[in-house]
Amino acid sequence: MFLHNVNPTVKALTIIGIVFLLAFLFDPVTPLLYISWTIVVTFLFGTFKKKYYIYYFLSFLLFAFGMFWTTLVFSDTSAPSGKTLSLLGITVPAENLWVATSLGLRVLAFATLSLLFLFTTNMVHFILSLIQQLKLPPKIAYGVLAGYRFLPMLKTEFQQVLAAHRIRGVNKPKTWKEKIVQYQRMAIPLLAGAIRKAERTAVAMESKGFTGAKDRTFYRPMKVQRKDWLFPLMMFGMLGITIALSVYFGYFSFYDGQL
Amino acid sequence: MKDTILRTENLTLSYEEHPEPVLQSITFSVQKGEGVLLLGPSGSGKSSLTHCLNGLFPRELDGSMNGNVFIEDRNTSDYHPGEIARKVGVVFQDPDSQFCMITVEDEVAFGLENLNVPYESMIEKVDKALQWVGMADYKLAKISDLSGGQKQKVALACILAMEPEVLILDEPTANLDPVATKEFIDLLKRLKEELNFTLLVIEHKLEGWLTFLERVIVFSEDGQLDYDGPLRHHLQFHAEDLHNMGIRLPFATRTSLEEKRQPPHPLFVTDLPGLPSLQEERTRGKAMGDAWLEMSNGTWKSILHSIDVTIHEGEWIAIVGENGSGKSSLSKILAGIQKPTRGSISLDGRPLNKWKEQELRKEIGYVFQNPEHQFITDSVFEEVAFSLRHGGIAEEELKNTVEEILAFCRLKGMENQHPFVLSQGQKRRLSVATMIVDNQRLLFLDEPTFGQDEKSTAELMDLLQQKHDKGTSIVMITHDMELVDRHATRVLVMKEGRLAFDDRPEKLWSHPGLPDFHLELPPREQWKRTIKNKEHTYVSS
Repeated sequence: MFLHNVNPTVKALTIIGIVFLLAFLFDPVTPLLYISWTIVVTFLFGTFKKKYYIYYFLSFLLFAFGMFWTTLVFSDTSAPSGKTLSLLGITVPAENLWVATSLGLRVLAFATLSLLFLFTTNMVHFILSLIQQLKLPPKIAYGVLAGYRFLPMLKTEFQQVLAAHRIRGVNKPKTWKEKIVQYQRMAIPLLAGAIRKAERTAVAMESKGFTGAKDRTFYRPMKVQRKDWLFPLMMFGMLGITIALSVYFGYFSFYDGQL
Repeated sequence: MKDTILRTENLTLSYEEHPEPVLQSITFSVQKGEGVLLLGPSGSGKSSLTHCLNGLFPRELDGSMNGNVFIEDRNTSDYHPGEIARKVGVVFQDPDSQFCMITVEDEVAFGLENLNVPYESMIEKVDKALQWVGMADYKLAKISDLSGGQKQKVALACILAMEPEVLILDEPTANLDPVATKEFIDLLKRLKEELNFTLLVIEHKLEGWLTFLERVIVFSEDGQLDYDGPLRHHLQFHAEDLHNMGIRLPFATRTSLEEKRQPPHPLFVTDLPGLPSLQEERTRGKAMGDAWLEMSNGTWKSILHSIDVTIHEGEWIAIVGENGSGKSSLSKILAGIQKPTRGSISLDGRPLNKWKEQELRKEIGYVFQNPEHQFITDSVFEEVAFSLRHGGIAEEELKNTVEEILAFCRLKGMENQHPFVLSQGQKRRLSVATMIVDNQRLLFLDEPTFGQDEKSTAELMDLLQQKHDKGTSIVMITHDMELVDRHATRVLVMKEGRLAFDDRPEKLWSHPGLPDFHLELPPREQWKRTIKNKEHTYVSS
């Protein structure tokens, strides 16, 4: 439960900081160690539906593998060292495998960090924290919140329009052209509805005294407490240890235009 | 003498795109603690007035506003933005689009945050406001999980928490079913006694407010102040004027007008003399025709449970029941829009899944609750012509058919308009037009009179009645028991996903489970009973 209680802004800035630092490194071992660490932290200190995490993780894994594979297949095949490896029926220079693995794991490291944030943060709290800690203008923040509420409504409306059009005898589109025409048709009622709703919401917010002014009180005060610093301390600390380990075993390398 | 809290002076308002003003030199004043009904047909500028009273106009107005609005003797234009919210609070019509937060407590707190209420008293005020409206148990709930009636209560709590002097309700019950409407008005009545706020209710119908609000301000269609005075008196003596303006009168008053009685007209069913005339005791007895659509053991997810129903030629079926009882799901499955999880449906003895979509749509039409969802072209003419063109019909004949249908649906002269710019009533009739153009023999309608004013309701029902007389079977979902009483030959009552009743309407009125179904008696039936009770008392005394 600890991760859910960390101040969302502190959490977000920590993750951004780590991603920034990881972007300077380019070897497979450091990110691999850090990925393991991130996943352990997420599962130990977060409560969420594990099933969904795995779904998300698998899709990122696929993406990372894609990066790995394309780098491998489409990179320069003239190997300076002359060493080659045979992999899944193709022969590639050994260096390229190193580069491709680094790239794939780097993508995966960014993904696990983002998932840590997504699965342990309440979006409303995050936005409220952005207003209170980072002075995000309330006009923008509450606009985003109102929009966030609209998404599920838009989804049901989309399904209704789809059914309503089918009943009018609009056939299932077969070609790309038909598909585009259909989406255009559907966009009009959806947009008209959304604009009307947005306008009404704006009027309702204003009549409740919302002016977008920065001085307002908060029903959910978001504070940065001493215990919130534990999270960045832990994450940056571990990054340091990981780097130290891979330097010690001789794997470490900075990003130096390897691609 | 009480204090004047709100006052308008020669208020005139016009929008940029229209030369005609929507409000014309409106002058009235409201005393502290009063309860006023602002009555007017749709398009009489009532909602624009709300925007003037809560200070949104002229700040946010594309157009011009002349005259003055005073709140506690201070001109609204002298208030800072956001300051008027302390004095005037508004509950709007649409329960879905007046919120910007996810949970109930956050939403109630939102207004307080805007007013810079300190944290500690905010906690207290949120709880108190939710208690007032009886929603304390839902404090942590998500707004999207609530029913329409509950959302309106939350909307009310949001405003009450801010403790405004004046409470304005802009058609607060327009999107609620009759049971939720009654609950909301009762709640308001109780709160007004308890908290003694000044109340302005903007409406285009009267029912429900008669026993509550004493004063009425009537607006005419061109935005002029037509009458300002005691509500009941005006209704008793000038019911005809109100009726001609397109305002929905209470049943008793309407009946008295129809029977051409002299004023004062009665306001409640219990005051009506005589028995309802029997001439209307309909031609419903018509023999039932062949079985058309048959469903057996129809089940859908956990929403519908093994329903058996058969629809015959020449029937007019009303599907009733409280919100969430499965009315819409049932009608969508019967119409073949949704496939049942179990059970079978057949039209003319042939299973629905054996019909080609195109063929099926020529037999069964379905009018959705929101007519806009069904529009797919850029003009009224093309909208009706759309399905005909698929049939590969000659241009000349096509034109004639479309003209005929448009005339039938009273949309003549609008051929080149964009469907989206029509009025609510016209949109609804256009959506019906698109569904009868292929001479469909079965027509489903999902709450066809929802959000319509008196005039468009009457026009629509008239049109459906004519269609029915020509042999179309109609299935409609509705909450309006008067419509059921007037038109339906058969009623299906849904309760918790099961078919709880299936028989002629007359049988339903004497069914002991009526309150359990969340249904009320139609006014004509109430009237009959009052008279019978009176006679009974007379005989026994």
